Amino acid sequence: MSSEDNEGDATELLETYDFLLKFIVIGEAGTGKSCLLHHFTHNRFKDHSQHTIGVEFSSRTIKLGEKRIKLQLWDTAGQERFRSVTRSYYRGAAGAILVYDITNRSSFTNLFRWLEDARALASPHLVTVLVGNKSDREEDREVEWSEASQWASQNGVHFVETSSLSGDNVESPFLLAARAILLSIESGVLDPEKAGSGVSYGDRALRRVNSSSRLSFGSLSGRKKRNPIRLKIKDLVPSPLQGRCC
Amino acid sequence: MASTSTRSARPPFNSSSPSSSSQANLRNQEDKLKGSTAARNPISVRLHKVLATNYDDPAIREALETLSDLYRNRDDVGKRASEEVGSSQTGGSIAVEKLTVGSGIAARARKNLRRDAEIKLTQSTQQFLKAFKEVDSKLDGLQEHIDAMQSRCDEAQGQLQSTNEECKSLLDRAGGLRSARHAVNDRQFAVDSFIIRFSLTENEINTLQSRDIQVDANFFRTMRKADRIIQDARVLMSGDEGPSKAGVEIISTTSQQLEQGYDKIARWCALEFRQFVRDAQLDVSPLMREAVKWLRNRPELLTDALSVLAQTRQATLLNTFMDALTRGGPGGIPRPIEIHAHDPLRYVGDMLAWVHQAIAGEREFLEALFDVKGEDRMVGSVRIFKESEEEEWIQDLMDKAFEKLRSPLRLRVRQTIRSQESSITTYKVANLLTFYNTTMQRTIGEKAGLSNTLNEISDEAYGVFFDTLEAQARNLARTILPDNQDVQPPATLLDHTQILREIISVYTGSLLGNESMDEKREGFRSVLDLTVDASISMCSSVADARKVQKPTWDKDTFLLNCLDHLLVVLRPHDFADYKVKALQDEIESRADLLASDHYQNIIHEAGLADCLAVCNDKTSNEPLSHIGAMQPRELASHLQAFAQWLSSPDVVRSPRLAHLNDQRLADRVHREALRSLAAAYEKVCVEVRKPENRYEAANTVLGGARPFGSLNALRQIMGVGEGSG
Repeated sequence: MSSEDNEGDATELLETYDFLLKFIVIGEAGTGKSCLLHHFTHNRFKDHSQHTIGVEFSSRTIKLGEKRIKLQLWDTAGQERFRSVTRSYYRGAAGAILVYDITNRSSFTNLFRWLEDARALASPHLVTVLVGNKSDREEDREVEWSEASQWASQNGVHFVETSSLSGDNVESPFLLAARAILLSIESGVLDPEKAGSGVSYGDRALRRVNSSSRLSFGSLSGRKKRNPIRLKIKDLVPSPLQGRCC
Repeated sequence: MASTSTRSARPPFNSSSPSSSSQANLRNQEDKLKGSTAARNPISVRLHKVLATNYDDPAIREALETLSDLYRNRDDVGKRASEEVGSSQTGGSIAVEKLTVGSGIAARARKNLRRDAEIKLTQSTQQFLKAFKEVDSKLDGLQEHIDAMQSRCDEAQGQLQSTNEECKSLLDRAGGLRSARHAVNDRQFAVDSFIIRFSLTENEINTLQSRDIQVDANFFRTMRKADRIIQDARVLMSGDEGPSKAGVEIISTTSQQLEQGYDKIARWCALEFRQFVRDAQLDVSPLMREAVKWLRNRPELLTDALSVLAQTRQATLLNTFMDALTRGGPGGIPRPIEIHAHDPLRYVGDMLAWVHQAIAGEREFLEALFDVKGEDRMVGSVRIFKESEEEEWIQDLMDKAFEKLRSPLRLRVRQTIRSQESSITTYKVANLLTFYNTTMQRTIGEKAGLSNTLNEISDEAYGVFFDTLEAQARNLARTILPDNQDVQPPATLLDHTQILREIISVYTGSLLGNESMDEKREGFRSVLDLTVDASISMCSSVADARKVQKPTWDKDTFLLNCLDHLLVVLRPHDFADYKVKALQDEIESRADLLASDHYQNIIHEAGLADCLAVCNDKTSNEPLSHIGAMQPRELASHLQAFAQWLSSPDVVRSPRLAHLNDQRLADRVHREALRSLAAAYEKVCVEVRKPENRYEAANTVLGGARPFGSLNALRQIMGVGEGSG
């Protein structure tokens, strides 16, 4: 049994993962949600993009420490007319990426409505990351970093500024949310075994749990213990550089 | 006895040794003599020489001792001889004889030295002879032996030779055997390699066959090996002499083993597939992927295993769907979908969104299972279905997985749409269903069972919607106008168009923005036809009925107002352009009718009607001045009335047409009527001026009142241009 596991690990492909997390990307129309997502999943800017119709789905596997995490990403339309459709997709999301456009003040002023919606409809332990997109257009900026940062801390969400044009920081919102969720899992707040939490075990984690139940939790939490320390430095002290650089 | 003899023999020397000192003294004396006397005397020389002889010289001493030994030996010899002669003699006599020998030795020696020496020589010679004789005989013997040896050696040599001869063939054979052994070794090696290459080890066979050994990476290595063996063995089958026996056997054995391996994979897969009981978020292990890849070589096994998977997924998805509907998430959050059943849009939307997400998850799972790389799809773009085997499997499995879910979904949606009274809500639900249908078809394709269900329920929703619309149209047709109904559109029409407005806004909201103009038109045509046509027919029927009841009622204005109201509702929407066009045409023709009607009215009011009628009815050659209203006096009063009318406000604005909601239309109709009126006046003027009508002072008749027979003046007063205005 154990030798089989070792062999399995050795030939393991990229697709297997420890956890699967469901994320929604929300925010006003034209703030660049789809572009942000596109850059995150395809690593390039999406040119000539149209308004999203309803919802779109994509996925990507990321690596956090020793954990492989698969993100199921639901990109929603920001247009009002799709509001009733997209709201149905909030159900059971573990993370929300709330996007506004730093060059468009109205996309920032409506944020609270979006957050309220998300908190009402998604999983109770929803982790939200506020994203100020289009940071490459500094000259047209209408929302100051400090203001958004303050809003974020008042509402208990993480905050980063990104540019889906230059690809600057596009990964951080997703990584931040995934880390925070991992912490919740570790602390027992979230249970991936339960349906509807937006989180579930992948094959890798399952095999570890199934094959050696004695070790499973010891090794899981033992390994993860290292993450929080790194985390605290990174996401609790959002340096201006992290959000603002070019 | 010998020691005594030596002691006894020594005294002469012992006695002579003290005399040596005296001899030295003597020599000293002689030296004195010599010195004194001449030493030339030969005797003295001789003497000196003798005297000077030094017996201490070791050579001399040795010679003397040899000599002495000789004699002693001789004595011994003699004594021995005598002993040999008389061995029985007593010891006493020996002692006596010895004594005599000892005493006489020196003397005898001086006498018989030579003889003794010769005797001795002879004896020795004889002894030599004797010895040689013996040696000779021994040598003879030796010779014999050597000869014998020689012959033996020859014999041996001969034998050796012959043996060599014989060995040669043996060696040859040995060499042959050695090379044969070499060849055999080579063949052994080849056979071993062949066996290693073309057969599985006991362990490997066991791996493939045994139920106790887990399916793991090693198992798949073995499968690969078995597969390769069969591939390689095909080479053996394609020899010149047709398929070789070994090839046939290898292939049949290995195929059998491989089949067992396939069976094992299939069993394992079926077992593992039963574990896929979690909701849509599944992961596929590399082993599973490999197993499926293998099983694709054995479609019938794969089909069996996949049917297990399909069943599992079917049951699982149904269960999780029902859980989401009735139980919600952990601890009831997110709340169960059915809690919102009172809100049809949210209820249906939540259900369909759940299904959509489940589809996405299932699709990802199946893509991972079949190791299909999710194509680099742009977010928002439509999935293009490739014709591939994997795609077929995936579609099939997707279909089966969602099969059981279809009926509860259909049931709930149907209940929801059937229980709606408002056509707007029904329309919204129908549009929502269409939207999800389009969205999900991107993932599952048009032919999927779920697509069928979605088509069915959206068709049904549209059916219900149209039923409601038709019922509304029937209600509309039964409209009875209130007694005090003016020429404004009736309340029922306003209600109806309000519903139409909302439906239109739902429709425009449901457009995705990428439809062609035709698609947009067609998407709403039936709704539009139904509602607008029903409205028009309602209006005209109620107008006809009212006209019968109340002939003074202005039907034309009423209808024009109704049509105009519809036009206002539809005009902003480009997809309704054809209907707008039809309405405009209708309005146009009705406006023409109204214009002629209006002309009749104003020509009566203006007092020219009778005159014109006479002019138009002229048939005989009788002059007009002699006929009815055209008689100069009547004509003058009519023209007077006309002049009065011209100064009334009715010329500028008709009170009747003021009820038309579209004032531009009213204006147009009025102008047209005025223009006709001007034409009528012109005709009257022309007739009056004709000589054959025999008017006296025609200009005076016409010039009695405004516009004094001048058409231009009339047009100016009326504010209409010549021809069209």
